[in-house]
Amino acid sequence: MATTASLLLSPDILKDARRRERRVAWRQTRTAWLFIAPAVVMVGVFLLLPVLVNVILSFTKWQKFTGLDKFAGFSNYQRLFAVPYFSEALYNTAFWVVGAIVLPLAVALTLALLLRNIAFQETFKSLYFLPKVLAPTAVGAVWYYVYAPHGVINSIVAGVTGHPFDFGWIYDDNTVTPSVIVTFVWQTVGITMVLLLLGLAAIPKDPIEAARVDGASSGQIFRHIVWPLLLPTVLVVTILNVAAGFTTFDLLWVMASDYPGKRTLSLAVYMYYESFSNGGWAYGSAIAVVLGIMVIAVSAALAWLQSRVEKSIR
Amino acid sequence: MPVDLSNPAFVQKLIAEERHRTRPPGRWILLPIILVTIAYLIPFYYLFVTVFKTTPEYAQKGVLELPSSLAPFIDNVVQAWTIAHLDQAGFSSFTYALCSGALAVAIAAAAAFGMTRLNLIGANGWFMVIFTGTLFPFQMYLVPLLFGYQRLGIINTWLGMLLLYTAVCIPFPLLVLRNSFSGISREIDEAARIEGASEWRVFISMILPNARGPLIALFLLQFTFIWNDLLFSSILANGIGVRSVMVALQSLQGTYSTLGPNVVITATLISSVPTVLLFIILRKYFMAGLQLGTK
Repeated sequence: MATTASLLLSPDILKDARRRERRVAWRQTRTAWLFIAPAVVMVGVFLLLPVLVNVILSFTKWQKFTGLDKFAGFSNYQRLFAVPYFSEALYNTAFWVVGAIVLPLAVALTLALLLRNIAFQETFKSLYFLPKVLAPTAVGAVWYYVYAPHGVINSIVAGVTGHPFDFGWIYDDNTVTPSVIVTFVWQTVGITMVLLLLGLAAIPKDPIEAARVDGASSGQIFRHIVWPLLLPTVLVVTILNVAAGFTTFDLLWVMASDYPGKRTLSLAVYMYYESFSNGGWAYGSAIAVVLGIMVIAVSAALAWLQSRVEKSIR
Repeated sequence: MPVDLSNPAFVQKLIAEERHRTRPPGRWILLPIILVTIAYLIPFYYLFVTVFKTTPEYAQKGVLELPSSLAPFIDNVVQAWTIAHLDQAGFSSFTYALCSGALAVAIAAAAAFGMTRLNLIGANGWFMVIFTGTLFPFQMYLVPLLFGYQRLGIINTWLGMLLLYTAVCIPFPLLVLRNSFSGISREIDEAARIEGASEWRVFISMILPNARGPLIALFLLQFTFIWNDLLFSSILANGIGVRSVMVALQSLQGTYSTLGPNVVITATLISSVPTVLLFIILRKYFMAGLQLGTK
C-alpha cells in the first residue's frame, strides 16, 4: 500500500502528468485557434482595422480626386464646429435619439397592454411585426408618397375637413424630422411590442392578484408592480432603439431626398452627404469619429444602468 | 374572511373571484384595437391599390381610391423590372444574402464552438475582440472601406461585397451561439471524444444539430439584414451588375425620377417579396430570432 502511494505521488510522475496535461491543453488551444481564426480574421480586417484607419484618415485632407498627401491635424474637427450644419445635425440627432427612445416604447406599451389577453393575439402580433421585415428603403419609398403633397395623409385630411389640403410634410423645416420619426415608429413598434409582451408574460401573476384583492387600482398595480418588473425589458428595448436613433440613415435618405436641407437631418446623413455627395472623405471620417464616440458613450451609460437595474432586482 | 371551505358563501365568493380573474376582456376593448390596426395598415392598403393603377389614373384619382382594373399591374412590373434592372440587382442581393449570411453563421458557429467547447486559453479575450466589432456605428467603416477597396481593386465587385457582408454578420450570431452552445450538455461531446471523434466531427455531428433552431433564426436575421442593406452597397458597389436591390430601388425614387409613383411602389413591392415570403413561411424562427437578440 505504502509503496504504491509513494510511487503515485513521486515528483517525477507528478511532473510528467502535469506536463502531459499542459500538452493536451495546448493541443486543444491550438485546435481552438483553427476554429476561431476565420471569425477573428474577418472581424479584425473588415471591422476593427477600418475603425483605426477611420481615425487616422480623419486627420488628413483626403478628398475625391486628390491623393492622400498630407496630414491636416485637427482641421477637420475645427471645421465641424465652425459650420452651422454640424450643430443643426447634432440637434436633430438628439431629437431622433429622444424620439426613438420614448415614442416606440409609449406606443408599443399601450398596444401590448391592450393586446395582452385578447383573441387572435398572434395575428395582431404578426401584422404589427411585418413592417420590420421590410427594408427601410422600401418603407421610406412608400411613406415618401404617404407624405407627398398629393399623398395619403393630405387626402385623408382633405376627406375629413372637406377642404383641399396639400401640405408638404417633408419639405417643411418644422415637420420633416417628426414625420420621418413617425415612419420609424410605424416600422419599429411591432418588434418593441413583441419584446414587451414577452416581458409582460414573464411577470408572475400572484403579486398582481394579491394587490387586486387588497383593493389596488389598475394604475397603482401598473406603477408599483408591473413597471418595475418590466424595467429590464424596457432597458433592452431602449438599448436597441438608441443605436437606431443615432444611426438611422436609409429612411432619412430615401424619404427626405427632396428636402433642401437634407444634410442637417442627422449626423449619419451629414456624414454620408459630406463624404459621398461632396467627396470630402477625410471630413466625413471626422464626423464618423464624433458619431462613434457619442454612440459608445451612450451605450456604455445604458449598459451601466442595465447592470444596476438587474442588481437591484436580484 | 377566514378560509373555511365548508362555508358555502366563502366558496361562492372564491368561485366568483376566479371567474372575474379568468374572464376574457370585454368586447369594448376590441374596438380601439381594430381601429388602431386599420389606421396602422393604411400604408399597406395604399401600396396594394397603387400597384394596380396606371400613371394617369394615379394622377386623376384620389390616392386611396380603388383602381379601375387589375391589368396595369403587369405593365408596372415590367417597367420597374426593366428600368431598375431588378433581375440583376435581385440576383446580386440574393447571392450576397444567401452566401454571406450562411458563411457568417457558419464562421460564428465555429468560433463559438472553439470558445465554449475546447479549452481555449484566453477565450474571453478573443470573444471581446470580436464583440468590439458591434460597438461602432457603420458610419465609421464607410470611408476606410472605400479607401481600402480602391487600393485592393475590389470596389464594385461581388467579392468585396461578399467579404464585407460576411464580416459584418459574424459578431451577433457569435454572441447568441456562445450562449446556446454553453447550454448543451458537455457529456455528449466528452463521450464522442472518448470514442475517438475529432473535434471537427464533434462540432459537425454533435453540436450543430443540437442548435438547429438558433442557427436557422440567425441565418434568417442575417439574410434579411443583407437583403435590406442600402448603405454599404451604395458606396462600395453601385454598378449595374453588382449593386444591391435596395440601391436599384433607390435609383428609381426621388427628385430626378420621372417615373410615376405607381411604378416606384411596384418596385418596392417586388423588392420586398423575398423577405416577406421568408417571414410568412418561417415566422416561428423569426420570432425566436428576436428573443435571441435580447438575452
